[in-house]
Amino acid sequence: MAFVIGVDVGGTFTDAVLDDDSGSVIAAKAPSTPPDYSRGVLDVLELLAEQLGRSVEEMLADTHHIAHGTTSSLNALVQRAVPDVGFLTTKGHRDSIFIMNVEGRYLGRSPHELQHVLAQDKDHYLLPKRHALEVTERVDRDGNVVVALDEDEVRDRVATLRSEGIRAIAVSLLWAFRNPVHERRIREIVAEIDPDIYVALSSEVSPRIREFARNSTTIMSTQVGPGLRDYLATLESSLEQKGLAGPLLVMQSNGGAVAAGEAPQQAISTVGSVLTGGVVGSVQLGQKLGHRNIISTDVGGTTFLVGLIVDGEPERDTTTVINHHPINVPTLKVHAIGSGGGAIAWVDAGGNLRIGPHSAQAVPGPACYDQGGTEPTNTDANLVLGILPTGLLGGRKALDVERAREAIKTKVADPLGLSVEDAAAAVHAAQNAQTGDLLRKSVVEAGHDPREFVLYAFGGSGPAFCAKYATHLGVDEVVVPLGPVASAFSAYGLAASDIALAQELSDPAQLPVDAVRPEKNFAQLEDQVRQGLDRQGLAFDRVEIVREIDMRYAMQLAEVTVPVPDGPLDEAALDTAAQRFEQRYADLYGQGTGFSAAGIQAITYRVRGRGVLPFSPELPPLDRATGDPEARTSRPVYLEIGQGFVDTPIYDYTTLRAGHVIAGPAVIEVPTTTVVVPDGRTGTVDELGNLHITRTRNGA
Amino acid sequence: MTMAVPGSERFSSRPIDPATLAAQLPASLPVHTVTQEQIDAVDPLTYEVIRHRLWSVTDEMGEALKRMSGSPIVTDANDFDFAVSDELGQEVQVGLYNTMLVGAVDLAIYWTLQHRATNPGIAEGDMFLTNDPWVGGGLHQNDAMVYQPVFWEGELFGWTSAIAHQPDLGGVGLGSFSPAAQDVFSESLPTPPIKVVRDGVLQEDVADVWVRRSRVPMMIGLDLRAKIGSNTVGRDRLLAVIEQYGADTVKAVMKRMMSDAESRLRGKLTDLPDGTWRATGYQDQSHSGDRGLHKITVEMRKAGDHLTFDFTGTDPQSGVVNCTYAGMRGGVMLALLPILAGDIPWSAGGLMRCFDLVAEEGTINNASFPAAVGRGPIGPAWLTGNLVAECLSQMLDQAPELDAHVQSACCGTWDTAVIAGLDQRGAVPTPFLSILMDPMAGGYGAQPQADGMDTGGLFCIPMGRVPDVEMTEFLYPVLALWRREEPDSGGPGRRRGGVSASMAVTPHGTSFPIGLVLASNGKAVSQNNGLAGGYPGNTGVEYIARGAEVTTMLGAGRLPADLAEVGGAAELQPCYGETYVAPGEVFTMFWQGGGGYGDPLTREPEDVARDVREEKVTAAAAEQAYGVVVSNGTVDPGATESRRRELRDARRSRADVGGERETIDLTGARRLDDNLVAVRRGGAEQVACVHCATLLGSGAVGELDLVRYEGPVSDAGPQVVDDAGSYVDGAVHFRQYCCPGCAVAVSTAVVPVDHVDDVTRTSRVLADARS
Repeated sequence: MAFVIGVDVGGTFTDAVLDDDSGSVIAAKAPSTPPDYSRGVLDVLELLAEQLGRSVEEMLADTHHIAHGTTSSLNALVQRAVPDVGFLTTKGHRDSIFIMNVEGRYLGRSPHELQHVLAQDKDHYLLPKRHALEVTERVDRDGNVVVALDEDEVRDRVATLRSEGIRAIAVSLLWAFRNPVHERRIREIVAEIDPDIYVALSSEVSPRIREFARNSTTIMSTQVGPGLRDYLATLESSLEQKGLAGPLLVMQSNGGAVAAGEAPQQAISTVGSVLTGGVVGSVQLGQKLGHRNIISTDVGGTTFLVGLIVDGEPERDTTTVINHHPINVPTLKVHAIGSGGGAIAWVDAGGNLRIGPHSAQAVPGPACYDQGGTEPTNTDANLVLGILPTGLLGGRKALDVERAREAIKTKVADPLGLSVEDAAAAVHAAQNAQTGDLLRKSVVEAGHDPREFVLYAFGGSGPAFCAKYATHLGVDEVVVPLGPVASAFSAYGLAASDIALAQELSDPAQLPVDAVRPEKNFAQLEDQVRQGLDRQGLAFDRVEIVREIDMRYAMQLAEVTVPVPDGPLDEAALDTAAQRFEQRYADLYGQGTGFSAAGIQAITYRVRGRGVLPFSPELPPLDRATGDPEARTSRPVYLEIGQGFVDTPIYDYTTLRAGHVIAGPAVIEVPTTTVVVPDGRTGTVDELGNLHITRTRNGA
Repeated sequence: MTMAVPGSERFSSRPIDPATLAAQLPASLPVHTVTQEQIDAVDPLTYEVIRHRLWSVTDEMGEALKRMSGSPIVTDANDFDFAVSDELGQEVQVGLYNTMLVGAVDLAIYWTLQHRATNPGIAEGDMFLTNDPWVGGGLHQNDAMVYQPVFWEGELFGWTSAIAHQPDLGGVGLGSFSPAAQDVFSESLPTPPIKVVRDGVLQEDVADVWVRRSRVPMMIGLDLRAKIGSNTVGRDRLLAVIEQYGADTVKAVMKRMMSDAESRLRGKLTDLPDGTWRATGYQDQSHSGDRGLHKITVEMRKAGDHLTFDFTGTDPQSGVVNCTYAGMRGGVMLALLPILAGDIPWSAGGLMRCFDLVAEEGTINNASFPAAVGRGPIGPAWLTGNLVAECLSQMLDQAPELDAHVQSACCGTWDTAVIAGLDQRGAVPTPFLSILMDPMAGGYGAQPQADGMDTGGLFCIPMGRVPDVEMTEFLYPVLALWRREEPDSGGPGRRRGGVSASMAVTPHGTSFPIGLVLASNGKAVSQNNGLAGGYPGNTGVEYIARGAEVTTMLGAGRLPADLAEVGGAAELQPCYGETYVAPGEVFTMFWQGGGGYGDPLTREPEDVARDVREEKVTAAAAEQAYGVVVSNGTVDPGATESRRRELRDARRSRADVGGERETIDLTGARRLDDNLVAVRRGGAEQVACVHCATLLGSGAVGELDLVRYEGPVSDAGPQVVDDAGSYVDGAVHFRQYCCPGCAVAVSTAVVPVDHVDDVTRTSRVLADARS
């Protein structure tokens, strides 16, 4: 018997999923325990062990590894609850992180905020100027040392920072990714002065051209690195004391994991892991269900996250934005496209219905939560329409339909001269259409046709909308992942993950380039990746290596990632890569828009390695249905504009079995969510307990 | 000045009433439109769904253009824009990039409908190309627009357009900028609308004519395709919306978006006080060798729900500092969009119905052919925008609920440096030509409740961007010795103007001098004015360290931090010039920050101390401009109090204050700005100082009782870096008006001695006052 455990430490709850090599999966949930999150982890492990009927020690003795994802680093960055750090950079260029390429004023803002220029600010500096110091040194574009490092000055700077109480230093010098000699020497000097100071080098954290993003990535990594180091050290030693057999691994933003001991040096690579957990879970579930192209939609009370899985592989990105700063981390691409169930409906001065961009957030929440919110939200509309039960949501919270009606009446219905019900229906329909637009934009801008995709909908608020926004998008089949791990979908993704590592290096050059140079770059990166995988202390079934180059037409800003096949890298292979770039470019932007006469440049080389584990968690099958499903009750539900309230059967998910078929219109109440099967669509329960909603009539 | 050219009037496009335009179209060009009943009949749900979809269409067009372009001016600095318009060219939805272009796009479509409908015809599958600033589309010839008619079932349904600044389109000067030009014939050839795509096919002959004129034909070729691709994206998406919802419904929504934006802006204007506001600004030098000052003046009249911008009195066109009507209108839009419409959707076709423009022909912001207009957007149009912003801010300052929309002037121009030379770093030496885009990091003006954004960018390009230094060094053979924020470059004020930055580059990887074309204003006279007593931001300045040997210095392990350390002879650069920087020499640029708001002597001392700690203000300037004594990063309260008293006393003693003044009860006072309030007494309003209650005037008296002081420009503080005599012949001075009671600054400026200001006009603050 061997176990794999996935643990997802969120701000409120710590989820865990355990699977074993005989195919059973169990899940548990415990409150998170800030500031020391390791207690919550140990609590949730206790709960898992109880379900297994073992002690924690007995469980851990048979555990192959624990895959751990955490929001704590991301939360610390977003809430700016990070310790002071120092920053050392090239003389003359300290202000890169204060000028922020100007874009720091607007990066990460919504379209609505972008237009409101006078309300923007740049008051989100990563550190005060007195903690950002310059050193005399200079390397040029080709990696030549133009000015030697002034080592005495470095010692002075370190002394200054120590006198300020600084215990962690980010070092990011111009062109260090081309020649890291000065950054490395600075680390040696710091170690000579005080070996306990945490040091991060840009040439290791983010060896990529463009100093602003490299600086901010290195600084943020330094802000969370020591905290992550201390937390993981505490957790790892507790787990070792309890006899954990295998390693503790930490989930990264790119969907892979690294050994706990290595994570702190690459701290920034772990920050987006929680956002991507749902995508990883969708990949895993997709493998079970035979879906290769998936639009993953995770709709919570305040967020709407979208990820794409194309031909079985999640779409990746090379940059993300945190606190209005560009951050270089290879990540699964997750678009935050709206404000989920809390988006506020309002009527503008022109007498037009508008949805969002403002959200009721967690507090006060929708009006129907009766926590002081008076603005009508999507959730309020759904309650008025009968989609949500008036009683309890998720078995926890009573919803107040009168509060919802009042909010919709005063803020939407009266100004528009509509009945409360018609106003609620308009809000519901407008939200569906907007979500469809934003999803379409995400899919189409990535160069894909939404009709070739299956849509997965999870999170508390998604399943009430998903069939409708799928219709706007032109998607035929929707899957609502339910069953044993639905509430811990992200932790399930962790438990099911292989081990992935990525290394990259910028070496910009105009093609044609002598093949020796890319060959050398790839060899070096592959070496680093394989060594990294070796250090995980795991036995892999096999190791898969993928090589890619970010390319662009000369002087374009945007690069397109092009895969480079295995085998020797000669002129012909580079030619093929260039052709793939041109093809991909035409796919993205239209035939004939490419312009090879301008020349093609190779910018960044990247190697991704995946250690495939000898594990494939099986989900337990649901009992087969023996007859037709029985509705628990029925109530009037308003789903279609023009039809008004229609008496609609209400099903209790816990009574459904594999093979049950439910014709729309119908509402299925699940302990954690509510699913709508609209008219013209049919819901089918599969053997894992997931609900598939398919089109039975065109246009539905 | 060159004589007017008969026959050139045909190319001057002006706004036209849509009904008049529609009536002029030939029967061969049927257009799709809807009735007012159809517009009124759109239900709120459909409206919101389609409005959102059109936003997404426009957004995708912009993303496509940005990703496809090959020009760093587009990709790294975001100088471009795009629009979706109705069948008659009215702008339904515009992008958030270069907002001046919004004032020009529709003009080109009107012109095309008027002059291309019959011959060569406007047909499905066509795209037009233009860079004629008189026709519109762009503000100078470097702005090239590609736009297409979109047809539905044989009827012209609407237009999409994409515009981007091109690095070089020919003419005698590098980057198509000729600082010595006397007329447009020395500049890039203005090209009226030509069909570059016919029946969906790029016309090779037209494309070749287009790229042939350029010093960088390949980049122009790539950008041409990028703009075509962006339009293709726009048409495909727009047609998909029409297929789903029907042409009539989509059109009804488009029309309603414009009328909604119009009615929201009219509603906002109605709630504001009527009145007249004036502003006057200058461009120092009009071309190489000129030493004049060239004035733009505007009177903004607001009555009910309508605005009139009257530029009568603006100087005649001169040198290269002119813009066409499109530039003047673009200048108005750069201010109006963010200040008045930050919270209204930018359906510009509707917003532009809320104002009229009055201007004499042949003036620097309404130039007649063949004036040189190469500097149109970044000189006169920009100054037009800053002056309009000054008028709008004065108006809004009286409405406390709108004070988040009040802003002192931002960086007043684009500091141009075209660089060209030979890159010898690769195996094959390659010529290069571009513009240094770093001056995009200008400072923003201060607001009543917030400091100006430091290196916040340029007001006219809300989503502008500076390239990373590494990208500049990757592309061109230069080494940037520094690029940094400059302390004290933001105008002092109760709220401080945003600081700007400076940059120093030296050739690296070339054995040849790098050619430079320089163009900038605001070196002798401030263009980044403060409001309500706030000081102007810095004046700009460029130097070349002639004969310096910085390469040797670097090799010896020394990295200079300022011009003095660089060595050589510091050669001050004029506003307009052509020069070079040789290997070993250093070129430095220092562009403009933003103006301050309110009297700096009323700024919270703690805020000043924070500025000193964050190196936004030097300790010396903290004492001189703010009267705040900061030591070791903290305020010395006692020293600050006495320093501020000294400074106020100095203001009182430097001019004749006269006798004691009456003070009045401020109960029930209405805000006019940071210093002035109006109090109703009997039937009439009186103006008083909010700080000391001194009575300053009443509606019965045309002039406010303020103390005027004039002194050397150095009185403005260290941000005014140079003597005006280095650039212009006319004398320039510091001018300040203060309250006779408490000496608080009510207006502070650096202006020509003959500048006619508007500070003391009582009717500026009391609409019904005698003038």
